[in-house]
Amino acid sequence: MTQQIIEQKNVVLEVRDLYKHFFLHTIDSRCVKALNGVSLSVAAGEHVALAGTSGAGKSSLLKSIYRTYKPTNGSVLLRLDPETYVDLVSLTDAELATLRGTKIGYVSQFLRAQPRRSPFDIVMQAGIQRGMDRQTAKDAAAHSLQRLNLDEVLWDVSASMLSGGEKQRVNLAAGTISPPQVLLLDEPVSALDPANRESALELIGTLTSQGVAVLAVFHDIEAMRRLASRIIVLRNGQVDFQGSPTEALSNLEGVAR
Amino acid sequence: MTDLLNELGAAHEQQQFGILDEYSKREIRRAILTAVAVPGYQVPFGSREMPVARGWGSGGLQLTLAVISPSDVIKVIDQGDDQGVNAVNLRRLIVQSTKVPETTTASDASIVQSRHRIPEDGLDEQDILILQVPVPEPLRGVERDMRELSRMHAEADYSKMWVSLYEDKVRNGVITQTTGYPCLVNDRYVIATTPIPRWDIPRLDQSPFLTLFGAGREKRIYAVPPYTAVTPLTFEDVPFEVEHTPGASCSQCGSNKTFLVEIPGPTSRWVCSDTDWCERNSGKA
Amino acid sequence: MKPVTAPDWVLKVENLGKVFGNLSTHGIANTGPEVGTSKDSVSGAIVAAWDVSFEVAAGEALGVVGESGSGKSTVMRCIAGDQVATSGAVKIRTTRNEQLDIFSLSAAERRQLRVNKIAVVYQDPAEGLEMNVTAGGNIASPLTAAGWRNFSEIRGRASELLNRTEVPLNRMDDAVKSFSGGMRQRVQLAKAIANRPPIVLFDEPTTGLDASVAAGVLDLIRGLLEEYGLAAVVVSHDFSVIEMLTTRCIVMNHGRVVESALTDQLLEDPHHPYSQKLVSAARA
Repeated sequence: MTQQIIEQKNVVLEVRDLYKHFFLHTIDSRCVKALNGVSLSVAAGEHVALAGTSGAGKSSLLKSIYRTYKPTNGSVLLRLDPETYVDLVSLTDAELATLRGTKIGYVSQFLRAQPRRSPFDIVMQAGIQRGMDRQTAKDAAAHSLQRLNLDEVLWDVSASMLSGGEKQRVNLAAGTISPPQVLLLDEPVSALDPANRESALELIGTLTSQGVAVLAVFHDIEAMRRLASRIIVLRNGQVDFQGSPTEALSNLEGVAR
Repeated sequence: MTDLLNELGAAHEQQQFGILDEYSKREIRRAILTAVAVPGYQVPFGSREMPVARGWGSGGLQLTLAVISPSDVIKVIDQGDDQGVNAVNLRRLIVQSTKVPETTTASDASIVQSRHRIPEDGLDEQDILILQVPVPEPLRGVERDMRELSRMHAEADYSKMWVSLYEDKVRNGVITQTTGYPCLVNDRYVIATTPIPRWDIPRLDQSPFLTLFGAGREKRIYAVPPYTAVTPLTFEDVPFEVEHTPGASCSQCGSNKTFLVEIPGPTSRWVCSDTDWCERNSGKA
Repeated sequence: MKPVTAPDWVLKVENLGKVFGNLSTHGIANTGPEVGTSKDSVSGAIVAAWDVSFEVAAGEALGVVGESGSGKSTVMRCIAGDQVATSGAVKIRTTRNEQLDIFSLSAAERRQLRVNKIAVVYQDPAEGLEMNVTAGGNIASPLTAAGWRNFSEIRGRASELLNRTEVPLNRMDDAVKSFSGGMRQRVQLAKAIANRPPIVLFDEPTTGLDASVAAGVLDLIRGLLEEYGLAAVVVSHDFSVIEMLTTRCIVMNHGRVVESALTDQLLEDPHHPYSQKLVSAARA
């Protein structure tokens, strides 16, 4: 593996020519081309939003960075500290697992926690994974859940009993319990009512001031306009357009969702 | 070849001392030596046909006949009583075939063969206590498979024994085994102390005399050499208790410091199990 | 020096193989996922497992997925010592940070490992428990094997463990044969962790239990894994179990490992045709 250097000093995540093709052996060996050479970068404290029609590759990109999808080709460089960076694609499973939940956070659309776990437990575990000791994790979990206005009454119930919006807030609480280096967000507020959406967006907004590099997929334009300093539009698994929110969104206006 | 045959024939014609032929004695002595060298280890041996049926002390008898010599004095007891039917018969058999002097006084005896007790006193260095054992395997209640039993002893893996002691204590509040209480010998092997009662177990620990255990039907010999550690298996916090009936004392000699047995009848009456000791004590009183 | 290092392994399996019958080169070539069988048509030998390798660190749970006949249980039994492997090595890291190849130990030494180094939770609780012994007594077994000799301490620790595994304390003195399947499994768990072993192997821990009972037991296992920082190997054909408990897993088919991946990646992006078949069947 040749040494690849991240050019700009403040860039913490650099995706280079990333491909993800699925070979579905069970469906007559069909090939689904989700990503066809995506390159982008995110700096510390920057919030980059991914836009595009459904199927454009937004979720696939986030998953390929997190390695829920194993990239077919290309590299994903992560800066660990000013002098060190690593290609996530080339790490072993065990090595990558150490970065998940610590350096890289991922908040998916769906709460995939085990049905009987309580929200408090889920968020506390996220804290422990970040390296906190039990007591600190407990305090941080309480703080995180409060920030997202999750009623204390719900903290110890089974996660399976929560509504979609409540589950989403638990997800967000777990993902933001302490700022990771890079945070990947996949439709983090889609199921929230206006009031909760507001506090969630406010919270996400504070992340960048803490130096987190955020790469997010948002369904709604308002959220993108409000939070993102840069928008990347994907089409057919490639970057179609990149620019400031105003530029990108006027470009998008005509595109069906 | 012919020399060997002549040798064997000559040995057979030789005046036999006791019922056992010299080759049988040799084999039993070898087994005894192994048993003494590895305290508590059950040594298999070729158990001979004896004039007493299996279950009536054939193992103990073989041990006695293997070690006895003209300079010994023999005492035989059954339940501590020299005059029990079984004891009388065995003693008669031994004395008639070996012409060795007999006694009921433990301190005069050099070999004591017993079915159920250790004499209250009188056994010293150079004496041998021979116990008749029906079931030599202490783990018999917790494991049936012979190979597994063998492995457990070899690896000192007695956890099944400990679990059964735990269960006993949980079910009954105390560990209920009366005779045959499992003991650890020389910190290595667990033995069944059948047939002696719990009362006699503390006397095995660091005893000055040699104790031999013989099981004729099961074909095993084991030993507790003089001055060997013998500790009953029990939990640290569950003290090993010997039999005790509060208020009971011997109706003959008045002792309440010896192992007592109850005489069945309209009113309960207790006497010393060790008849010899009782007589001597009554004499003093 | 690598910028990212995974924690050191506590259990390492290297090229583990188990063959029933005569091992031969053609036997290996005649079997496997490509051939579609574990049985060598020429010699009749069964290559139950071959060339299986993986590592598990403390606090990590690795899944071994496969259908019945895949060899996953064979692998587990070879590590546990219930079966003798034909080839390969299984290493554990000792408390003195040395690597010990457990296949180099005598049978007696391997049995000793089962007291406080490697614990096994079997699919059938009757395999890991003495049915006629009480719940407390079953836990007393590993404790006394490890040298515990104080009755109240033994009882104290047993109640602590039964409490932790959610077995009602008023049943501590009941024989486990009077327990339901789910409760027997909980007693098996309590017994397995009694001496705080660093490595625990789970063989289909909830198969055969009702769904709601299974959910509770899985929950409990997950909690124990987190709390005790165990290195665990979870063998199962059930993806929901693998998903619930493991971070990484390997897929076995006809005795060979066909894929090795992060658990979420296997479930969303399986690569090997067999893995894809398994995952889509589970998703259906």
